[in-house]
Amino acid sequence: MFKVSPLRKRQFLGGIIGLVLGISIFYFFTRKSSETYISLGPMNAGHEDLSCFTCHADAKGNLWQQLQSNISHAVGARKDGVDFGTQDVTLNNCLGCHDRPNDRHPNYRFSEPRFKEAVKKIDARTCITCHSEHHSERVTVASIDYCMNCHQKLEVENDPLDIDHKTLIANEEWFTCIQCHDFHGNHTYKVPTKLKDTIPMKTIQDYFKGSEDPYGTNKKYIGLSQDEWLKSLEK
Amino acid sequence: MTFNKQINFTSMKNIKQFSFISVFAFAINVFLTSCGGVPEEKSSALVDEPVFSVDEVLEMVAKENDITRTLYTSAIVGQGKLQGMKFDEDWRKDDVEAGPLPALFLRGIATSIQKSPVPLGLYLGSDFPVNAANKFVGKQAELFEKIKADQKPQFFYEEDTKLHTAMFVDLASAAACVTCHNDHKQSPKKDWKLGDVMGATTWQYPKDSLSYKETVAILDSYAKGTLDTYKEYLSEIEAFVNSEKPEIGNKWPKDGKYLPTAEVFLDSVRKLTAYETMKKLVVVK
Repeated sequence: MFKVSPLRKRQFLGGIIGLVLGISIFYFFTRKSSETYISLGPMNAGHEDLSCFTCHADAKGNLWQQLQSNISHAVGARKDGVDFGTQDVTLNNCLGCHDRPNDRHPNYRFSEPRFKEAVKKIDARTCITCHSEHHSERVTVASIDYCMNCHQKLEVENDPLDIDHKTLIANEEWFTCIQCHDFHGNHTYKVPTKLKDTIPMKTIQDYFKGSEDPYGTNKKYIGLSQDEWLKSLEK
Repeated sequence: MTFNKQINFTSMKNIKQFSFISVFAFAINVFLTSCGGVPEEKSSALVDEPVFSVDEVLEMVAKENDITRTLYTSAIVGQGKLQGMKFDEDWRKDDVEAGPLPALFLRGIATSIQKSPVPLGLYLGSDFPVNAANKFVGKQAELFEKIKADQKPQFFYEEDTKLHTAMFVDLASAAACVTCHNDHKQSPKKDWKLGDVMGATTWQYPKDSLSYKETVAILDSYAKGTLDTYKEYLSEIEAFVNSEKPEIGNKWPKDGKYLPTAEVFLDSVRKLTAYETMKKLVVVK
């Protein structure tokens, strides 16, 4: 018969509590419905239906191996450390669903030396500069006058706009760019020729916060859903 | 007697300490070596003996780019225009039924390379670009002045990004380059002539020397980029509603309203580039 020594009662009780707690925590953290509590914040607009694993893939190896490898790396017995728990989220995670051949500002272009100064002001080499996740928004960049970092010298021949681009730039009205042009160029819509017909700033700001798309719904490429992304991996 | 006991006590203590250290060291050793850890990341078979300097490899791929671009510009864009085919910077837009202009064709290749595992960067710039955002500034502008003077490639190491960078001359090698740039309403220069230095391609790679396999991977990624972009052009044609679709097969625009298939186009590129590239690949070091 299993008997607990009177001198070991506290340890036994502690062990039982630890076991029950451990199983409960494991059960809680591995349930899909718990993702909301584990998440750093609510998912951004359009990402509400994504599971954590869509971006946070398991790191290579088991936890023991990861721990072992990172300690070996710390003591110089191994060249590189490894991801612990989950893999780092990189640009490729975003491009897995949002890669579009028609992107007028693809991230890679900003790696070119001539964008060195611009990148110091706004690092367009990575998506999270403007689309930081877990904020329940669509665009999280602090100020939307970012066009000024590259387009200072823009001149449009036969400018169709009633207040031409050169004047807008001279007046540093950089907030007006986005009222006509969507940054990634994925929308098909008629660009207005009068400044008064452009999308109002408030509507743009609401869109950035997650509201309806003011550039219209006619898009050439639509980001993949989680299921579509999973199917693309099978291919 | 007491002295002996003291010696025994001290040596017992030393033995205990020694045993503890040994067990601890053993445990650490087991911890660090059992399971084997996560296998080290290796670019698999690509890690080999370095054979070429990065400059040599970038020269090789830049040469392929020159030939590919000239073929596309003259045989597809130049001849295609004579057959009534359209080429536009907004070729990807749904309401535009046209093919990519040569600069956009290059950007398509660069995008495809970027998606491949090969860490090669390719960009096009000029001092008189159609799109003002493509104007060289800083170090690139300085080196471009030298390129304009002697048409020789310029190599430098980008300290910030830790990338080996090379710039190669981009000449007005086909009549279509000159006419399109002179006629383009956004063009800041309208007196281009055949043979002029119109701009430069910039290439970047992180390593200073490359193995055969890494070199071939770079050449492959460039060829795949050509194929991908040309295929995208052909699929745009598929979606034409209002424009006449050229017949796609073995014939070229010089023969009429035809376009070569992606395979035929790439095959011609290979025929034109193979000798130059092989000459450098098989060179005895």
